[in-house]
Amino acid sequence: MPPTLPDFSNSVKLKYVKLGYQYLVNHILTLTLIPIMIAIFIEVLRLGPDEILSLWNSLHFDLVQILCSAFLIIFIATVYFMSKPRTIYLVDYACFKPPVTCRVPFATFMEHSRLILKNNPKSVEFQMRILERSGLGEETCLPPAIHYIPPKPTMEEARGEAQLVIFSAMDALFSKTGLKPKDIDILIVNCSLFSPTPSLSAMVINKYKLRSNIKSFNLSGMGCSAGLISIDLARDLLQVHPNSNAVVVSTEIITPNYYQGNERAMLLPNCLFRMGGAAILLSNRRSERKRAKYRLVHVVRTHKGGDDKAYRCVFEEEDKEGKVGISLQKDLMAIAGEALKSNITTMGPLVLPASEQLLFLLTLIGRKIFNPKWKPYIPDFKQAFEHFCIHAGGRAVIDELQKNLQLSTEHVEASRMTLHRFGNTSSSSLWYELSYIESKGRMKKGDRVWQIAFGSGFKCNSAVWKCNRSIKIPVDGPWADCIDRYPVHIPEIVKL
Amino acid sequence: MGDKKKKAQMFVKLVSAAGTGFFYVKRKPRQFTEKLEFRKFDPRVNRHVLFTEAKMKTVVSTKAVEPGKYFPLSALDRHMENNHIRLVCYYQYSGEAVELGEVTKKLRHSLSEMLTHFPIVSGRLTRDERGHWKIKCNDAGVRVVEAKAKGSVEGWLANLDREKELQLVHWEDMFHKPYYWSTFYVQLTEFEEGGLAIGLSCGHLLADSTSATSFMKAWADISMANKMVTPPLFHPLLLTRQGITNPNHHPHMELIHHYKSSIQKPISLKEARYTTISMGFSAHMVQACMSAAQTNSPITPFAALAALFWVSLSKVKKGLRNGLVDMSICLDMRKVLGIDVAFFGNCMVYNKVHAVEGDTNNFTFPQAVRAISHVVAKMDSERVMDLIDWLENEGVNSPTMMNNHDLVCASLESVDPYLAVFQDGFKPIHVSCYVEPVLGEGQVLILPGPPGEGPLSRVAMVTLREEEAIKLCEDELISQFSPTTMMKCQ
Repeated sequence: MPPTLPDFSNSVKLKYVKLGYQYLVNHILTLTLIPIMIAIFIEVLRLGPDEILSLWNSLHFDLVQILCSAFLIIFIATVYFMSKPRTIYLVDYACFKPPVTCRVPFATFMEHSRLILKNNPKSVEFQMRILERSGLGEETCLPPAIHYIPPKPTMEEARGEAQLVIFSAMDALFSKTGLKPKDIDILIVNCSLFSPTPSLSAMVINKYKLRSNIKSFNLSGMGCSAGLISIDLARDLLQVHPNSNAVVVSTEIITPNYYQGNERAMLLPNCLFRMGGAAILLSNRRSERKRAKYRLVHVVRTHKGGDDKAYRCVFEEEDKEGKVGISLQKDLMAIAGEALKSNITTMGPLVLPASEQLLFLLTLIGRKIFNPKWKPYIPDFKQAFEHFCIHAGGRAVIDELQKNLQLSTEHVEASRMTLHRFGNTSSSSLWYELSYIESKGRMKKGDRVWQIAFGSGFKCNSAVWKCNRSIKIPVDGPWADCIDRYPVHIPEIVKL
Repeated sequence: MGDKKKKAQMFVKLVSAAGTGFFYVKRKPRQFTEKLEFRKFDPRVNRHVLFTEAKMKTVVSTKAVEPGKYFPLSALDRHMENNHIRLVCYYQYSGEAVELGEVTKKLRHSLSEMLTHFPIVSGRLTRDERGHWKIKCNDAGVRVVEAKAKGSVEGWLANLDREKELQLVHWEDMFHKPYYWSTFYVQLTEFEEGGLAIGLSCGHLLADSTSATSFMKAWADISMANKMVTPPLFHPLLLTRQGITNPNHHPHMELIHHYKSSIQKPISLKEARYTTISMGFSAHMVQACMSAAQTNSPITPFAALAALFWVSLSKVKKGLRNGLVDMSICLDMRKVLGIDVAFFGNCMVYNKVHAVEGDTNNFTFPQAVRAISHVVAKMDSERVMDLIDWLENEGVNSPTMMNNHDLVCASLESVDPYLAVFQDGFKPIHVSCYVEPVLGEGQVLILPGPPGEGPLSRVAMVTLREEEAIKLCEDELISQFSPTTMMKCQ
């Protein structure tokens, strides 16, 4: 049993030991190379210039040998540069700012709930308890069709919402980047729950008159993590098509999926999901290198669908009255934790500095061989990343991840504030969080960002971005008018 | 992959055309886009009426309200608990025709903007420690009903009656749990062939007719220029008077007596059917009426018209030479109390009119005018403040309805509703007002006339039992002033 160290002086000493250890292991190559170089230099000095010249003359070099070695070097260099994956740049992105008239304060939401579910006071009580503890604010927005008593979820209204969200985001993206619609080579739209014919990507192509040889994709049914899946798809496509632009649109259309029944597990999404969307421009053109905001470093996707419990965790089905809704099981957090662990295991070796990986390896070996009772070492991801964007799925998700990854309040501030201001906007919430960090002026060149998203299935996807240039405030985005009010203290329970 | 959750049918609400607020909910196939109309039984009026489709939603302000704000209601406010006001304004475009539905959207937007300045309107009722009503400013919003009607607004106005007009303004009586009950309702009815009707209804607890009209004006100002010409004032009713500790101060009792007696009388629930007719008096005729009063001192158009209706209605109800019916008048006391007209809340006071001179059975028109002017002059700030003090202290735990017994003549002339001009050139062409429910002898509301008729023109909205209304239209005295009938009996 390792001894506890209650003394402050002891823990300070431990901190310095840790720092020294990290510096040593992370720069081991430099630290070994430098003595060797110094040794060679001293040796050279000792030999003196005459001896070096005679050494040089004694080497006989044939023309053939010189040519062959030159070709070999050029060949290896070419193979290296050809097989290196293309760098994917995130030029810029735009988030949808919902109109103020779509605002839903708590009081209005609860009144509507009472009027619509007047025969089920228990369901209404349940919704009120969820709303009180949800971490949402008074400025989240629902689409206009849901404001009616009772809501009017027609297909026309759903298309209207899709047009409002997607076209606003795309217009903002065009004006920010100066992109011309004819220059888009790849278009990926992801919206999990609304999938009309023709698809939403066809709707975008129709509105902006995009080229006829565009590569368009429409991903539906993939849940809140579909945003990162689209980024992954865009990256793969950009490897194959040189010199191209890809636009990714992530959104969630709420109108057709507002649950109108009484089943409690299915009423939960009504309380949390809100209107939102984002449009992202990715490119592999070298000319974008100067003005791109981020560079995509890694995308790691983990799918736990093979496990039955994980598969049924978020399930769309009909309730006893035949009304369709998405039911969330009670073991959602546990499964999310499992999926996260799985994702981290793959992600760790890619991003963690050598010091953390070594510690983890040693603890792992120790647990396997010596004593299984040793506590597993949780690598300190704060050394690998400066910023964290955790999908704002709900207060519980953010709390759980903060605990598991041992993050500070500042690290999860972007996620909490996005949940408060915009609610759970599903796949686009990661972009609102990134916009928050930028609007606060915290994004500097070289900063690494980790975006984590969870989704039905059960999936856990991560993306790692590296900031390409420092981003100056004020940033034009959805936080422009309210960033000064944040961060806000969000009480545990809001009294309604 | 289709959207599996879309149902083939949707719910629609069939609202009673009788304006009682009763509704049925029916399933309708989504593809069926025509409006449903059924003759169904409305238990509140106890007969079959025509139901049409309408959509209801809640509109909230654009800025969030800080939590924890409360607004107390004055004694005058609380006394009017059982009444509600309905205001209908008809608009015609002066510009080019706009697409149906677009107008509603823009109006909702401007309403949202305006509600930021009226946190009380979007709040909800709750009780304070003494059991009195107060408003919790919880940002819940105002209910808005969007409806479409066939025909044009002029066509509608040509055949207007009470039942039809009340279809244009939605109202729901206070719920058992008033915390979820919206105190204000706005109905936006677009006419398919042109025109718009905005129906505003509100509980009398929060606003009197002056405030309701100011509300419309503020909304119109915001939609035009995003700025209110006269922003509303929310403050406790009596700013002075606090600190007067004169124990020898004897309150003037006339107003107090009137209120006391109406509290003591029970609310009568007679089964009679009431109807409302509306008569427009041109400026010339109002002048003639004022001259017919034959007094040397100046009289107001209200005094003249109120006396006119008093005498005519007494004839209709009691017959010739049988004296006058009991009447009380209702006036806006803002000016008298020195409060700005933009004060939002109740500031209208009722007072009984007594015949002071002459033969009680053989009243002439000039004598009636003098009696009314006399009572109006006696409603000064001292007496009104005594009344309010009495109401606060003696307690009004069981508010009654002031228009429950006597004939009531109310002056709604403080704010001109025709000044509420909305964006895109929507000008009001007709305004109606109701103070419901009317259960006594009847009610006469004197409103300003339409623009273009001159500042003296007036419109009188008379709510009476049906048989009396018919007789009133044929009355000689009234016909002398050739009113234009804007709304007939059914």
